[in-house]
Amino acid sequence: MTSMAGKQPQLQSIDIQQLPLQQLNALVQQLEQEIELFGNSLNSLKLAQGKFVESQECLNKVGPENKEKDILVPLTSSMYVPGQLSDVENILIDIGTGYYVEMPVESGKDYFRRKVDYVSKQMEKIQPILQEKYRMKQVAVEILQSKMQLMQQQAASSKA
Amino acid sequence: MSSVHAMQQKETLQKRLQHELEQYQKTQKDYQKYINGRQQLDAQLSENTLVMDELGRLETAANVYKMIGPVLVKQDLDEAKQNVQKRIDYINGELKRHDGLLQNLEKKQDEHKETLANLQKHYQQAQQAQAKVNSR
Repeated sequence: MTSMAGKQPQLQSIDIQQLPLQQLNALVQQLEQEIELFGNSLNSLKLAQGKFVESQECLNKVGPENKEKDILVPLTSSMYVPGQLSDVENILIDIGTGYYVEMPVESGKDYFRRKVDYVSKQMEKIQPILQEKYRMKQVAVEILQSKMQLMQQQAASSKA
Repeated sequence: MSSVHAMQQKETLQKRLQHELEQYQKTQKDYQKYINGRQQLDAQLSENTLVMDELGRLETAANVYKMIGPVLVKQDLDEAKQNVQKRIDYINGELKRHDGLLQNLEKKQDEHKETLANLQKHYQQAQQAQAKVNSR
């Protein structure tokens, strides 16, 4: 039987059925940890995506129609100084690890578009894994519960 | 076998067991440490590759700045590329080093597990032997 388990995926679920209670519990816990990990990653990706989208939208405001307009520049999150938008053609983008690049607005938009795409792709990779883990956890929990019930029934009948 | 002898044997076994357990836990700790280090390196590698990718897309005339403390310092594009490439190479080297270390530690862990199981078996045997002597 066990030598065939690798060839027929159906037999794997039978293997879970036959696991002792302790191991089943450990399995559920492990799956829960994995779900948490992937969930956290997904959340961080969503956050990052939001930031990129926000920056991209901000760039829509940087154009010739807003040249020389008055703006308030934040020095801290609660203190602003007045200023004027003098350069509407170029922007400075943080591309990571301490490097900043000056580029025209259009390339900046392109940069953020690419970043959003990249993050979306990563999310698409994680989503199915997370769903699969959820499904596995559900199956494991169901088996665990049915086993517990069985044990309780056995204990009750042996007492009576 | 006298009861004194059995007791002595049990005590030495207990000491060895304790020692082995400590060693095992130490290896586990090291293992975790290098796993964390590896994850960090992985993150750094992907960040640096993304930066390299971005730098590769730029025209040669593009202005590149490097953040040094609170100031942005203008840097040559080629120089920046070289720097990032150097970092990527270094991180790749570190990754290989970590992988080797992790493999070693895994082997060590398995060895410790085996000796622990053996010692435990001996210890139980000694305990049984002592119980037999005592009950007589």
